[in-house]
Amino acid sequence: MSFDPQFLPLLAAMVLVSFATRAGGFWLMKFVPASPAVEAALKATPIAVMVGIVAPAAARGSHGEIAALAVIFVAMKVIGNDIAAAILGVATVAIVRFLMS
Amino acid sequence: MEKTRKSQYASPMEKADSATFSSAGVIRGFTRGQPLAVTAFVYGLAFGLLSKDVGLSALEAVLMSASVYSGSAQLAALTAMDDATPWISASPWVVALIILVVNARYLLYGATLRPWLGQARPIQAYGTLFVLGDGNWIQSMNAHRAGEQDAGYVLGSGLAMFLGWLSGTLIGSLAGAFVSDPSLLGLDFFLVAFCAAAGIAMFDGKEDIAVVAGAAIASLGVSLVVSGGWAIIAAGVVGAAIAYARVKRAGYLS
Repeated sequence: MSFDPQFLPLLAAMVLVSFATRAGGFWLMKFVPASPAVEAALKATPIAVMVGIVAPAAARGSHGEIAALAVIFVAMKVIGNDIAAAILGVATVAIVRFLMS
Repeated sequence: MEKTRKSQYASPMEKADSATFSSAGVIRGFTRGQPLAVTAFVYGLAFGLLSKDVGLSALEAVLMSASVYSGSAQLAALTAMDDATPWISASPWVVALIILVVNARYLLYGATLRPWLGQARPIQAYGTLFVLGDGNWIQSMNAHRAGEQDAGYVLGSGLAMFLGWLSGTLIGSLAGAFVSDPSLLGLDFFLVAFCAAAGIAMFDGKEDIAVVAGAAIASLGVSLVVSGGWAIIAAGVVGAAIAYARVKRAGYLS
């Protein structure tokens, strides 16, 4: 467990930037007056972000990823638990990659 | 629509009552966050292992995991200090810029938490934001949509993942070789899988179709041009803009 003092500037830069991205959006919204339209925009953002994470991955994915997304869709309709569905999806990717490697 | 208007014009007293920040909420989030903690732990193992390759000690790797707490950003930062350039030669500015670009999506996450977490005390809110991650943000927003009012939930689920991430980093760095390549176990796919599942759970039918379609087009378009986090940001901004415009237009019509 060694610690090199030269690591400190690097660590400081990483802490500052990381916290700035986490706190920045929250802090800025203090200055945006609440309105029904702003509320609707904030409420729609999570699902839009999820699409932004899934859609490019699906587009560049190969058999494993596509099969996994299908498994996740069925799992959500049948069991309805998001974490269980995600784990089944990960397992599907692992199995397909294993079979095709 | 009716609901948002109502909360908008609620009296300050009502507002304080409708959202709380209690230890019960923290515990609830921590408990529900356990499955996410396991995945963070396994991903942390992989990061701990890779951090050894650039010459970081276990302590340095854990400090990096505690300060950055983002798998995608940390793995990207490691590329700025690969074998050819051990971390000592890595510029803090370059590493900071990489983290900023990869983690810019957190700006959106924080913004969406304002109406809920903004009712907690600043120290609670900013402490919660320190341990905000993709997984627990998605889980928390889903829980909030399903009626969770206690903002402690966000802190609890964040802490669960944070601890998994730190312990994974430590063990990966010390013990190494459990997971030589996370992609063999499909772990690189976990975030996508969880987003797909949570998105299906969150999908509200008619109201979300335009948002989802706009976000899909935006993210696919952007991902053709640049890789990384920009597609996510584009999706979030376009989705928010569509919802904003719809309410504005409805306001003018009525």
